[in-house]
Amino acid sequence: MVTGPVAAGTAGAGVMTLSYLLRESWVNMRTNRTTTMVAILTTAFTLACVGIFLLLYVNLRAAAGWLQDDIKIMVYLDERLASDSVAEVEQQLRGDRAVASLLFISKEQALGEFKAQFPSESHLLEGLGQNPLPASFVVALSPSFRSPDAVKRWAERVRQVAGVSKVDYNQDWIDALATVIRSIELVAIGIGVILSAAAVTIIANTIRLTLFARRDEIAILRLIGATTSFIRIPYLLEGAVLGALGSTLSLVMLKFMYELFRQQMRTTGRFAGLDNLMAFFPPSVCLALVAVGMGLGFAGSFVSIRRFGEAKA
Amino acid sequence: MIQLIHVSKQYDQRPALSDVTLEIGKGEFVLLMGPSGAGKSTLLRMLIGAERPDEGQIFVHQKNVTTLKPSDIPYLRRKVGTVFQDFRLLPKKSVFDNVALPLLVQGVSSADIRRKVTEALRAVGVEHKRDQLPAGLSTGEQQRVCIARAIVNGPVVLLADEPTGNLDPALTSEIIELFKLINARGTTVVVATHDPLVMEQVNRRVFTWSQGRLLPEQRVLV
Repeated sequence: MVTGPVAAGTAGAGVMTLSYLLRESWVNMRTNRTTTMVAILTTAFTLACVGIFLLLYVNLRAAAGWLQDDIKIMVYLDERLASDSVAEVEQQLRGDRAVASLLFISKEQALGEFKAQFPSESHLLEGLGQNPLPASFVVALSPSFRSPDAVKRWAERVRQVAGVSKVDYNQDWIDALATVIRSIELVAIGIGVILSAAAVTIIANTIRLTLFARRDEIAILRLIGATTSFIRIPYLLEGAVLGALGSTLSLVMLKFMYELFRQQMRTTGRFAGLDNLMAFFPPSVCLALVAVGMGLGFAGSFVSIRRFGEAKA
Repeated sequence: MIQLIHVSKQYDQRPALSDVTLEIGKGEFVLLMGPSGAGKSTLLRMLIGAERPDEGQIFVHQKNVTTLKPSDIPYLRRKVGTVFQDFRLLPKKSVFDNVALPLLVQGVSSADIRRKVTEALRAVGVEHKRDQLPAGLSTGEQQRVCIARAIVNGPVVLLADEPTGNLDPALTSEIIELFKLINARGTTVVVATHDPLVMEQVNRRVFTWSQGRLLPEQRVLV
């Protein structure tokens, strides 16, 4: 028979073919050492740029999450509210399933805290003759009621309660942070797409050089009956390896920069405590990024092979 | 084994093959004679599906090469061994690895590869050079390695394009004797050449070509 499926052969034959294909990939990379190194380095720098935005995005999202979890709602009471009514409000709040914890701050306590926090400004209040600060409840909500929408709905509901003059929380600040995060997300996606395309192009060019250098060998393989996939596999592997090595190196670079940045924060004392909250990508994300690099390399190689293959088929 | 029916091919309005019809039977040894550019190489390339005719049909081993899908062409080439004037050996691979290549692409096991390559190298008389690189061989030895590569997987047809073009008369005789031996084992051999020395030695059917046309006086010497 002239046509037919590739002979499956024995397990030994498969191993033989695989070892040949792997060896060819390795030979390709070793033969073009300089080009291979340049491809890995440029891919690494390109992916590191994407990684910086990704890292920033991941950390800011985590920070937004903590802030949202940590949100405290101030429920200010009417100036002239009798203590019975205060107890009623307290009872109503305690009965609310959205409320996780509750702390009452009397007018006197509020004044004391103000004086303690702003000792130089305390004379401003003394000039008024009477304590202008209202009594309040500091409310922490249950985890399932901490989403921005749920907080907003809860605050609006509590505002209607008799004896409550004002409900205050730092949602605006959180909303602003969410907007920043969304912007960074968009920038990261935009830059990610552009730089990923650049990485694909870099690897495609490297593979094209290899294909060009080995065009005679490819022609011989075709003549002796090698299938298209047999010819392509070493180059696809080479592209995938270049991509994987490039993305691994980019992670090493990012980790180095990240540690350097944390060290800098510690020694200068700026943003004290924040360095402990910062986090690098977890191992699963690192693996996913290496896989993405591998995929980009594979794609780059595929692009080159397709172009080269059409001309040489 | 090989059949061409009214095959024509043009390059830039210039005919390379014009209305060629011929038949080569199983186990035959045939010469395609003619000057360079007569269309011999075009014909050989068509027999392995590297070129398609503008008109006509080509059959090799009962397969219509003109209608083969590109993905089926490798399987045709596994049945057809090819030998070239410029050898086309891989310079960075040893003699053994060069000859093993057609088996490797077919997924043959390593034990079978060792056995078949050794047999092929022995058949062409370069077994002792198995670990050398092609650059370390003489031109005659390189051509023998090329022939070993062409016969290692037991092809039904062996095509040779000017196989003695780079060889002196003594080496030419040796290579022709080798082709005769291969033919004697049942392989159909088609040799394209412009070398009259080859014709003298082969003494078989000869197709003579001129400017893409098969001349009417087919010389059948046997």
